[in-house]
Parts: sequence; C-alpha cells; structure tokens
Amino acid sequence: MRIFDPHIHMTSRTTTDYEQMYEAGVRALVEPAFWLGQPRTNVGSFTDYFDGLIGWERFRASQFGIRHHCTIALNPKEANDPRCVDVLDVLPRYLAKDGVVAVGEVGYDSMTEAEEKAFAHQLTLAIEHELPVLVHTPHRDKLAGTKRTLDVVRESGIAPELVVVDHLNELTVGLVADAGCWMGFSIYPDTKMDEHRMVTILKEHGTDRVLVNSAADWGRSDPLKTLRTGEAMLAAGFTESDVDKVLWQNPVEFYGQSGKLMLDPLETDAPTGETFEGNSVLRGARQ
Amino acid sequence: MSALRFGYGTNGFASHRLTDALAVIADLGYSGIALTLDHDHLDPFARDVAEQTRRVRARLGELGLGVVVETGARYLLDPWHKHQPTLVSADPAPRIDFLRRATRIAEDLGAECVSFWSGVKPSDVDDETAWRRMRDGVAAVLETSGVKLALEPEPGHFVQHLAQALRLRTELGSPELLGITLDVGHCVAVEPRNAADCVREAGDLLFNVQLDDMRPGVHEHLEFGEGELDLTGTLAALTEIGYEGLAAVELPRHSHAAPDVARRSITALRAADWLAGAERSVRADPVKIRTLFPAVGRKVGRSPLDARGLVHGTTDDHARARLLAALADALSGGELAKEVAGLYRYGDGAERRGVLRGLHLLPADDEVVDTGLRLVEDALRANDIGLVAAALGPFAQRHLDAHTWRHGVLKCLFTGVPVAAVSGLAQRADAELVRMVTDYVAERRAAGRDVPPDADLVLQEAGQ
Repeated sequence: MRIFDPHIHMTSRTTTDYEQMYEAGVRALVEPAFWLGQPRTNVGSFTDYFDGLIGWERFRASQFGIRHHCTIALNPKEANDPRCVDVLDVLPRYLAKDGVVAVGEVGYDSMTEAEEKAFAHQLTLAIEHELPVLVHTPHRDKLAGTKRTLDVVRESGIAPELVVVDHLNELTVGLVADAGCWMGFSIYPDTKMDEHRMVTILKEHGTDRVLVNSAADWGRSDPLKTLRTGEAMLAAGFTESDVDKVLWQNPVEFYGQSGKLMLDPLETDAPTGETFEGNSVLRGARQ
Repeated sequence: MSALRFGYGTNGFASHRLTDALAVIADLGYSGIALTLDHDHLDPFARDVAEQTRRVRARLGELGLGVVVETGARYLLDPWHKHQPTLVSADPAPRIDFLRRATRIAEDLGAECVSFWSGVKPSDVDDETAWRRMRDGVAAVLETSGVKLALEPEPGHFVQHLAQALRLRTELGSPELLGITLDVGHCVAVEPRNAADCVREAGDLLFNVQLDDMRPGVHEHLEFGEGELDLTGTLAALTEIGYEGLAAVELPRHSHAAPDVARRSITALRAADWLAGAERSVRADPVKIRTLFPAVGRKVGRSPLDARGLVHGTTDDHARARLLAALADALSGGELAKEVAGLYRYGDGAERRGVLRGLHLLPADDEVVDTGLRLVEDALRANDIGLVAAALGPFAQRHLDAHTWRHGVLKCLFTGVPVAAVSGLAQRADAELVRMVTDYVAERRAAGRDVPPDADLVLQEAGQ
C-alpha cells in the first residue's frame, strides 16, 4: 500500500513516527501550517515556523524516505490576534517557494469577523498564486460553519476543484460534495472520524474527490490512521485499486494542481550523515 | 514568459523523416520549424513537389506549427561541391532558380519568409565583382518573390556581418520584402557586438532568427550553455524590439541525437525566457522580486557549475544574481538595501546563496554595502558550507574587514570549502593570515592529523 498523508503536522512528531510511517507505506505527505497549541504573539514566530516547514522538517522527512510538502497560511484561530495578522503581508514570499503546495489551513474557528477577513484575503492569495486551498472547518458548530465556509469560497471566485474542505463528517460531507470541492476527512483515535465510519462514507459517496488524513499533531492522534483506513476499506470489500486512489492518487491529483509536488523517490529510507545547513538528524559522534 | 515563438531547424533532424521530425518537434512544445529544403525534406526538384508541399502544409496546420523556409542545404544543387553554386559564383543561375522555387514553395506552405545567404566568395573574384553579383542575384529573386526574403550573414561567407547585409539592402533601395536572418551564435563568433545589440540594430528588419551557442572566433554551432552566448539577454532584446517571427534552434550537426538535443534546447530556452521576463517584471515593479526569487530554482534549474557548486555556484545562483542586478536598476540606497535584506531574511538556503553571490553587482553605496556586510557576516556564522563559500566572493574581497575575512578563509579550511571559492585570495592574503594558517597546520601535525591540501594553497597564494 502506498500512502500520501495529505494533512499531518510532523513538527510535532518523533523520528519513530517517521520510521513507522515509512514502514506502513507512507512515501509523501503535506504538512499544513497551523497553530502550535500555544498562541504565537508576533509575526516572527510564524516566519521561523514557516522556515522550519520548508527547511529542516523537509530535510528530516527525507532522511526517512518521505517526501515532505507544506501549506502556508495564517490559521483561523490566530487570525483573531491583531499581533499576528501582519503575517498576511509576508505570505506571498512563502507561497512562491518550492514544495509549498497550497494555501492553508484557512477557514473559520469561532466564526468571527477577523477570521472571515483573513479567510477571504487568503482565498484571493490562492487565486493570485494559482494554488489549491486547504480549508479547516470548525470543531464547534460544524454544520453552520461548513455552510458559511462554502459561501465564502463561492464568493471568492476560486474554482471549487482547487479547494479541499477538511475535517468533514457524515453531516457535512453532502454539502461539500454538492459544492464541487474536495472532501477531506481526518481520522482520529476517538474524535472527528474513525476508519469504520470513513468506510461507510466511502460506500455512500464513492472515492472521487475524497482525501483521507491522520491530521496527527501534538494532541492524541495516530499517524498510522491512513493505513488503518486502507485496511478497513479492504476488509469491507474495496479493491486495492480503490485504496490506492483514496490514499495516493487523490492527494497527488489535488495537490498536483500546484505544479510543485516533488514525488521522485528518495535515495534513502534511513538517516545518513547528510546535513541540512550543516546539521544532521544523527546524534553522537560524526565525521 | 514572453510572447516569443521558438522553433527548431529540421536540418537538425536530418536522420528523421520530415513527418516524424514535425511530430517530435511539436510534441516537445516548439511553435514552429525552420524547414531546410533538402533532398530528403521536401525536395524542391521532386516531380510531385506541389503535392508534397500541400501535405506538409496540412500537417503543419494539424500540429499548429509555424514555418520559415531555409535554403542552406549542402549538396542539393551540386553533388560534388558543398553549397555550390551560390549567388556570388560565376554562374549564379542555378542558385537564383533554386531560391525562386523556394519562394514559391514558401508561398504554398504559408511560410513566414525564405532565408538565404551569399555563399563564399570564390578566390579568383574581387570584392567589387562579388558585391555586384550579390546585388543582382538578390534583385532577381526579389523580382518574382511573393514572400519575405531574409539575408543571413554567415561566417566565412562574402556577406558575413550584419552591417554588410544592411548595406546591401540599402543599396537595393530598401525593398520591403528584404530583411535579415540573424543567427545569434554567429554574433558571438564574428560580430563586433553581442547578439542582443545585433538584435537591436536589426530592429524591424529582423525577419528570422536562428538560435544556438558559439565561442568567439569559432564557427561551430553548440548547444546552449556550451559557448559564450548570453541567451537570457538575447531573448530579452528580441522581446524588447517586439520581434514576432520564429526563433528556431539551429544545430545542423546534432541530428544523431536530435530528440534529446531538441528537448534540452527547449528547456534552456524556456528557462532563459522566464528569467528575461522576471528581470523585466522586477524592473517594472521591484516588489515582484519577493515571489520571483523563490521560484528561480524551479524555473531555471539547480545544476552546480563545478563539482559541488561551491566555487562557481549553481545555475539558480547565477539567475538570482541577475535578478538582484535588475532590482538595482529599479531601486537604490536604503530602499535597495532593505529589499535585499528581506530576500535574505525570508530566503531558504538557495535564495540566501543567490543573494550572497549577487552582492558585488549592486552599487557600492553606504547603505547597500552595510547591509551586504551584515549578510556576509551572518553567512560566515552558518554551518551551511554553501553559504560560507558564497559569502567569500568579490563583495567580501572588496568590503569585508581583514579580521572577519581571514576567519572566513580559515573556516573554509575547517569545513572543506575549496579556497578557490575565495575571491582575491592572493591579493588579500597578509602576514596575519599566513600566521593563522601556519599555526593551524602545526596544530594538525602535532595531533597527527591530515593537513588539508588547501592550507598549502593559501600559503602559496600568500607567496610563502
């Protein structure tokens, strides 16, 4: 099984995760820019974080045989903090960089005016930079939030096939399917979605325009939930080719719209003495 | 990207059937062909030439290819003597007849023009006679032609410089149908000025362009990057004069590997055309550099120009340095310094390297130099040897204080950066550097460890 995790926050994960993911068949992933669990208080915190996403983390993943891409944005939660909003001015520099395959995560958290302003602005940036968009849907008041999200997407004028609306469930999937956007599902150990409910949704809606991710981060989450979904699909009678479509071809098709995916295989799946800006992932003595 | 239309010369596909060559050229993304009429490619003396011409025209239409007709086939008129007879031969009639046929075929093909050259002056003919034959021959072809004719200055031929071709046109009374074919490689080989200036000089009279690389003084058609042509600057000049004709790759001696050569050529052309467009954007709106600078590697490639790219940098380094130079055309002083600092601050490793390798192209006013020094010092603190190598270029040679510069050189020895990366080593090496390197060598020897060969090189350069 080859797996492309379209949404996972590797800066929060360990090298053991990378090893297990490779073992499970993960060869590529997208790490969306999001909040850190604790609020940032200035623009510099964002840019250092972005630099890490396009630099050190990409290198770290490569040391474990995994192609790392990222999305860049001001996330909905921090769009509410005036100390952070100026980061919008530096986003164009980052959106132009190699391996930045979408604008994201954008969308609503608490459905405030500030969130909406940042959301709409970043949809415009996506159109300007010819990039897809990864849209987060709120944890609270999800159905109403998803409806409003789709309105904002429509008003922006961006093509729906350039938009994935993420963290969907049984109640929100239909809206997104009808809007022509891509449907993202985050499979978590106990919240959001699990792999069995996911299989039921796949049976009902088919495999077109569906992205399945682990959304693993610093909270309780499992970077192997993509694999588990693939296994559950096979157990439920889906073919290997269905699984490949959902776990590999679909993310490649969606993020491929950026023209910036890097999918040529890496030479190594175990850390070497290779360095990034002079630093390696090895510990202890080096040459 | 510009509106330039790139083509490929079918004389570079001499081992292909014409129909196959057209398909390959179209598949690679070219917009047209320069069709050399030859015994194997639309033979102008074939009995069914009219029918063949119709078929080629239809095929070109299906593939969406434009066409110009070239008349430089080697043994089409005389199986024993290459290119003979010519317009300057004792009997130019067969050449005139051939050129007239070519113009009729060009009309039937819907070609944009017919390109031709003078030929080599026979050794027993004086200049005056040759010039008269040339003038009369061109006049005779013009008389019956319904398509544009483009005279190509050809190295070693009677008309080998752009100035001669332009003079001939003037003497003929500046006929509207007569213009110029410019082979940009020839400009490198024999013209007194570079290709971009030749393009500007030809201006509106430029009917046809051939693209290839060349070295000064050597008439050998080379792939892009193998000679000394400034391809980006040349394409920029074509855009600047509003050139609308085809610009076709001219590599007649590369037929043995035609598809690969054609693929490499279009890649090089797209990269150079992108860079020329990026330079224009930056000059028109300097803020654009913030999003163009990161895109450089994707658009022009990242090949190192020496083993590790530490001495001469990489393809993207050079392209970024050009963008910095374009930025300096649009901004100056504090504004320029601030923009350059921003590119470095928000740059990844490759972008930072590009900034460092372009610093010496910026004007040396105080604010810019202060900023440059700050960036060089930052790079010399880094563990990334690509940055260390890029930091010790001509800018550091000119502006970096002696203490920091010496420590930079020593860092090269420590980190395995070849000291060939250090600009002006011989000029700047002083007694203190010699002492530092000598101490370092002594320390390595005392510890029983290898001494990097570059340590000796530094001492030699310092005249020790």
